[in-house]
Amino acid sequence: METRRQAVTLFTSVSLLIGIIVIIQLWLVAAALDALLGGQTAVLVPAAIASAVLLVINAGLLRLIVRLDSRVRRRTENDE
Amino acid sequence: MPAQNHDPDAEGDRPGRRPVPRWEEDFPIQTERDHYVARREFAKFLTLGSALLTLANVAIAFVGLRPKKDRPPATLIELASSVQPGGSLLFRYPTDQDPCILIRSTTGKFLAFSQVCTHLSCAVVHDPEHNQLFCPCHRGSFSETEGRPTAGPPTRSLPRIKLEWRDDDLYAVGIEV
Repeated sequence: METRRQAVTLFTSVSLLIGIIVIIQLWLVAAALDALLGGQTAVLVPAAIASAVLLVINAGLLRLIVRLDSRVRRRTENDE
Repeated sequence: MPAQNHDPDAEGDRPGRRPVPRWEEDFPIQTERDHYVARREFAKFLTLGSALLTLANVAIAFVGLRPKKDRPPATLIELASSVQPGGSLLFRYPTDQDPCILIRSTTGKFLAFSQVCTHLSCAVVHDPEHNQLFCPCHRGSFSETEGRPTAGPPTRSLPRIKLEWRDDDLYAVGIEV
């Protein structure tokens, strides 16, 4: 089981990955809005699907954090 | 009992550990635990932001795919036939809040576009010498025949106004984005 210090490092890494994905999603929103105003409606659905896929990846990474958190808590309780 | 007395200074003297002052014993700052909670919560908030951005993208797609309203009614462009080749005329379509520009090319063909620049909404003017529509605010220009951007900051084409001759009168009958 991981120590809290290891968990902090893992949380930082996963947060970085989630942050990168959020930036990609921000770009997708900006591009979709530009396409909507330009009348290019064909790209709107693929952009929404791509954003949803990125959300699923983010949710998976968050699940990783939640699981890790529960393992660390269990270890802390055992130590105490 | 001397064995049970806790001396923080004595603990701090252990090799490999920094001396712990008495104030830190009384008011401990658990930096590691603080970082742990902060980063865990940060990841959760980032994921929440990700969900909101997905929602925004779905909303944009929904708005884009919504069926369009009925075509605006045809509007007569007065004095259109008096425009000389290379000349232009301003009119409003579909409402009085929407400025448009009717241009007559040197070949005599009538074309109309929204006068609102797609960059920052300045009014474009006709530049017959260079066969373009010119935005003086940021020196953007659009093709006179298609309305697509040819220079400067604009990236989107000007909406084109569909025209129709009815007898000897020219009507604006629709918008082509």
